[in-house]
Amino acid sequence: MTNIEKYNEAFIMSFQVDEPQLASLTYQSIPSWDSVGHMGLIAFLEEAFDIMMDTDDIIDFSSYEKGKEILKKYDILI
Amino acid sequence: MIYSSDLLKNKTALITGSNRGIGKAILETFARSGANIVACARKETPEFIEYVKNIAKTYKVNTQTLFFDLTDENEIKESLKKLFNEKCQIDILVNNAGVAHGGFLQMTSLSKIKEIFEINFFSQLLIIQYITKIMLRQKCGSIINIGSVAGMDSYPGYSAYGTSKAALIHATKTLSQEFAPYKIRINAIAPGLTATDMSLQMEEKASKVMISDSAMKRLATPQEIADTALFLASDMSSFINGQVIRVDGGMK
Repeated sequence: MTNIEKYNEAFIMSFQVDEPQLASLTYQSIPSWDSVGHMGLIAFLEEAFDIMMDTDDIIDFSSYEKGKEILKKYDILI
Repeated sequence: MIYSSDLLKNKTALITGSNRGIGKAILETFARSGANIVACARKETPEFIEYVKNIAKTYKVNTQTLFFDLTDENEIKESLKKLFNEKCQIDILVNNAGVAHGGFLQMTSLSKIKEIFEINFFSQLLIIQYITKIMLRQKCGSIINIGSVAGMDSYPGYSAYGTSKAALIHATKTLSQEFAPYKIRINAIAPGLTATDMSLQMEEKASKVMISDSAMKRLATPQEIADTALFLASDMSSFINGQVIRVDGGMK
């Protein structure tokens, strides 16, 4: 599985959304991406990419696109 | 009472402040019950390393040691990140390490209050933040925060220690709600005055008041606190969440 596939899967599995919706997703833009959903997404990404994200990055992770930038800090290129 | 059980077989427990007092009793009780142990302490000493090795040999469990200072955020983070990166299993966290302090507010500097909170509250939250990452991955866990009756009852001289423990107790209740969907339970124990080195730091007059307030008119033993921790750590308490169990011999 490529990094983008893993990344997309995390969103699709965490929020029950379809792939075409992903690019526009932002925190709280859909009911399932609430604070509980956010924790689930972060846990999914940490597991998928074998990383441990810092709290500041978890807070900054405000959209699908922003998440890609943040993951760069962990040497994950999407 | 010391007994043997398999209550924690195949589980791994991380215990802070496990080199003495209540933490040491919890370490031994958990190992006796089959748990593998991550024993945390502030300073590495040959005696403690040897003690933990003997625990492994005696109870046929796996042990490892971790050393970090609760006033050093980076040390805590680095130590716990290592566990995460090594994919260590952590089923039980006992936030036991803490510092005692007594003194009227007018005789306690703000920097001292901040220091007490740093050790007794903020560092505990940081540890929970990191260990729950492991527990979230496992989708199970039991966290036990060691509070104090001083965090529930009001005693003069506890403006720093008591309020730091009250904060920890409140966090226990709040976090139990946050983590329940992930099958992570969080409870606290509020010991009364317990026969440890820490209790010796207390003014004699104040300790007499606490003992006389207890219906059983004595100090708790570290083993009595450890036995309660064993119950909360095990699946015997699988539906107990967000609670504070007083182990105080029945205080007024």
